[in-house]
Amino acid sequence: MSDKWTPRIVVFQCQYCLYSEADQKWMDTQLPPHIKLIQVPCTGRISPLFVLNAIQGGTDGILISGCQPEKCHYKEGNLGARRQLDAFRRFLTYLGLEEGRIRFAWIDVSERGRIQQELAGLEKTIQAMGPITRLATRAIPVGEKR
Amino acid sequence: MVDAARHPKVDIRTYTEVERVDGYVGNFKVLLREKSRYVRADRCNGCGECARVCPIEVPNYFDMNLAPRKAAYVPMSQAVPLVYNIDLDACIHCYKCVEACGKLEAIDFSMKDKLVWEDVGAIIVATGFSHFDPSVMPEYGYGRYPNVITAIEMERLNNTAGPTAGNVIRPSDGTNPRRLAIINCVGSRDKHFNPWCSNFCCMYGIKNAVLLKQTYPDMDITIYYMDIRTPSKGYEEFYDRAREMGIRFIQGRPSMITEDPETRNLFVHSEDVTLGRVIEREYDMVMLNQAAVPQPDVDTTSSVLNVTQSPGGWFMEYHPKLRPIDSPNDGVFLAGACQGVKDIPASVAQGSAAASRAGRILHSDQWEIEPIVAVVWEDRCVSAQGKKCGICAKACPYGAIEYEQGKAAHVVTAKCHGCGGCVAECPHNAITQMHFTDAQILAQLHALLAERPEEKILAFRCHWCSYGGADLAGVSHFEYSSNERGLRVMCSARMDADFIYEAFRLGAGAVLYSGCHPQDCNYITGQRLGAARAERLMKAFEKMEMTPGRFRVEWISAAEGDKYARVINEMQAVLNSIPKEKLMEEIERLRPEMEKRARRLREVPQVEEALEYSRQLEIAMVGEEA
Amino acid sequence: MNHQPETFADQVRAIPGGEHLELCYSCGTCVSKCMIQQKVEPEYNPRRLLHKVMIDLDQEAFADKTTWLCSACDLCYPACPQQIHISKVIGAIKQLAVEAGLTTYLQTAVVNELTCVACGLCVEVCPYEAITLVETSVMFRGKAVTVARVDPNRCMACGLCAASCRSASIGLVDKFSNEAVVAELWDWIRSPVVEVTA
Ligand SMILES: Cc1cc2nc3c(=O)[nH]c(=O)nc-3n(C[C@H](O)[C@H](O)[C@H](O)COP(=O)(O)OP(=O)(O)OC[C@H]3O[C@@H](n4cnc5c(N)ncnc54)[C@H](O)[C@@H]3O)c2cc1C
Ligand code: SF4
Ligand code: SF4
Repeated sequence: MSDKWTPRIVVFQCQYCLYSEADQKWMDTQLPPHIKLIQVPCTGRISPLFVLNAIQGGTDGILISGCQPEKCHYKEGNLGARRQLDAFRRFLTYLGLEEGRIRFAWIDVSERGRIQQELAGLEKTIQAMGPITRLATRAIPVGEKR
Repeated sequence: MVDAARHPKVDIRTYTEVERVDGYVGNFKVLLREKSRYVRADRCNGCGECARVCPIEVPNYFDMNLAPRKAAYVPMSQAVPLVYNIDLDACIHCYKCVEACGKLEAIDFSMKDKLVWEDVGAIIVATGFSHFDPSVMPEYGYGRYPNVITAIEMERLNNTAGPTAGNVIRPSDGTNPRRLAIINCVGSRDKHFNPWCSNFCCMYGIKNAVLLKQTYPDMDITIYYMDIRTPSKGYEEFYDRAREMGIRFIQGRPSMITEDPETRNLFVHSEDVTLGRVIEREYDMVMLNQAAVPQPDVDTTSSVLNVTQSPGGWFMEYHPKLRPIDSPNDGVFLAGACQGVKDIPASVAQGSAAASRAGRILHSDQWEIEPIVAVVWEDRCVSAQGKKCGICAKACPYGAIEYEQGKAAHVVTAKCHGCGGCVAECPHNAITQMHFTDAQILAQLHALLAERPEEKILAFRCHWCSYGGADLAGVSHFEYSSNERGLRVMCSARMDADFIYEAFRLGAGAVLYSGCHPQDCNYITGQRLGAARAERLMKAFEKMEMTPGRFRVEWISAAEGDKYARVINEMQAVLNSIPKEKLMEEIERLRPEMEKRARRLREVPQVEEALEYSRQLEIAMVGEEA
Repeated sequence: MNHQPETFADQVRAIPGGEHLELCYSCGTCVSKCMIQQKVEPEYNPRRLLHKVMIDLDQEAFADKTTWLCSACDLCYPACPQQIHISKVIGAIKQLAVEAGLTTYLQTAVVNELTCVACGLCVEVCPYEAITLVETSVMFRGKAVTVARVDPNRCMACGLCAASCRSASIGLVDKFSNEAVVAELWDWIRSPVVEVTA
């Protein structure tokens, strides 16, 4: 595998996710191009469909970043997300996807710099795994006709 | 302090605790525990050799634990008397100090605490305040972030005699902070912790900012506040000066402080209320103006001195406006922050006033008290007959009753304040109250209900509150039913159940039981006694199936004239709603029960004479046929 | 006795949860604890909304975005030094606004009644109990067809229903619709910087 390979990463972030102002600014303006930020109202909005699309489109890693339990802007959206997406992740693992490609980060506003750490951590795991091979089958969106 | 120590008539006992106080105004006996220092005060000359050789270091409480001290130490350099002290909790018994002390032989490990009784005429309590611990507010990170410090720590850091010789440094790395945030009201004005305003933190926050700005002109200082309180002479001008010096003020209570784990810099999150916008600003250091709270041992002090507490734990004054220096316990005076948070000028003023109040007692051979006091009919007291009782002693908010089984209860007249709680509580009617005897009250009651009692609303009013409320209703021209008949006693504690039964026996249409709100009671806990009794009465009447509303309990302050009028009118409405025959029927039905319950009243000395007197009065008023 | 006409503040106070409104001393803790102003809506300000109520600016309170945006996450409640249950006060204001005939300005969830099978998953996940199953007037095999229906005055547009629906029959519109998110994802996947090479 060549050294030049950079993994592609999608970050699903809840729009209230409690980063400090500086961290949010960094996310909004300084994210490198191989990382895509998709904001949703709440982690609970992240449908398995989005994750599936990302994986099948060949994304190497996914970071799902939300608020800490009890601190959800929509009372319990993050708990619902955790339940549903964790089950979905286990299902994908069953289908042969490596465990570490989907990562959750529940971040509090006092944890300055944690989002950068999480991204770096994910990138390191993926670097070790190499590019995604399993399930990255389609070059068009799920649901769209070939 | 040094001046006071030198004064021939001032005797300072440091390292000494008051264990017990007996007696009463002018004649207190006080038990003192002189704690042993393990250094003999008569031999120690304060040279400090012992501390020099002592190998043990512990954090110095006086420096807010920012610096160490030895196990042999003086708490501070200006200590009076300058006698060293051995901290036995830290001492490892190496006896190096004994050696160093040498010929003076001042160190004595066999010393024991000394207990001494002293006669004193008056007592001044000036035990001050303590500091709120902000580590219970995790959002400010005190205790977690090294550069978040309290105001009192800043006082030590910024003091030339302090642990850093006045060099203000960041605990994390020893550098001078360039940007400082000061946060007001930490634990004050906060219903989770202390609802009160701590009074002096706005001003000392500004003071510290100004002092720091003078020493470090480049320091960028921001004060976060909700309201700036500058209520004394010259304070507002000082606030102006601080702003002129470039100190910033942001209105907004920070909701959170976060820390950059690398630089250890702090970010303060708050709304800037003036902008209506949330701001996050970076600082090198944050100082928390923590709330002033009562001393941790305030309950012990309270019970030793028999001084009550206001809500929150500050000592209660006799009257908030008219007697702010006296405690409810005669001969015990309050000075300084222990009575309520106050700054140095106010504490000194109150201290001087307390000294002169105490001086009045020390200079008098006789002491006048109010004549309204309780007196025991010794022959009626069952304790004298060997029975167990003591109800009166429990009822007294002032601890004025000495009770010992086998002897008649004894009222220490000098301690009695005349609420009448014991009088009403005594189940054997063995106590009476001068000027408000059972006989006197009964005579009034009979006179008030002489004519068409079923139409009357008999209102028991306490002297300090509901009587004042009724008075105010009158002068304010709040209209209320003319069927109301008021009967004044000193406190709701005096409103004997027998009076209520007697009123209903006589056929009163309705009875109001009214007094102060619990926190306003002039007799510490008198109202509570009265309220508990009223509750029992209410239950009894419910059981008797009395029409609800005929007996009513209301707490009405002297400022609530409108409430007094409203309550009486509502009671009148209740009376109006009961058909006359039904009311008369109910009165007749309940009369035997009331008679039974009020029978003890007739046994009280002088009652018969009083009743005869009021009968004569009735005859004079309404004619023979009544 | 002294009966004054009922003010707007009285009306808010009369609704359970709206009681302690007047205790607010405008410290701003709630505003900085809440993420809405910082992340989504600069005009959001619960402190100012409470003040509007106290000085009886009912129309302004109803028009305030805060009234409609508060999602009752209660981050502010434990922080308020006056222990005001702010979200409940805002709820009371919203209730009065709804009674006055106003509706939310939020883009709330919509149901595609043609595909909804009334399985009730969304009803279960909705944190605001905004979804109910209702019978339509359409008959199928002798029975009225049941579908999910969203109460726009309860829906806070979090999208939980959209993520849970197995037939993609309920969802948010515009920016946060399934289509929009998937399209955004694919735009990036197909963009030259990260061209698909696998
Ligand atoms: C950080 C800070 C800065 C301040 N700066 C200023 C300022 O610049 N100007 C100003 O005017 N005010 C200032 N104040 C307020 C000032 O500290 C108080 O007004 C003042 O200390 C009150 O005096 P006091 O004598 O009533 O109580 P304290 O100073 O608290 O003294 C009480 C004393 O009683 C002793 N004691 C307690 N319990 C017992 C007991 N059971 N038996 C025997 N002794 C006991 C204590 O050890 C203590 O020595 C500041 C306060 C703080 C917290
Ligand atoms: S004095 Fe000022 S800082 Fe201190 S509690 Fe009162 S308002 Fe707050
Ligand atoms: S935190 Fe409480 S007191 Fe402060 S502005 Fe908000 S509602 Fe008012």
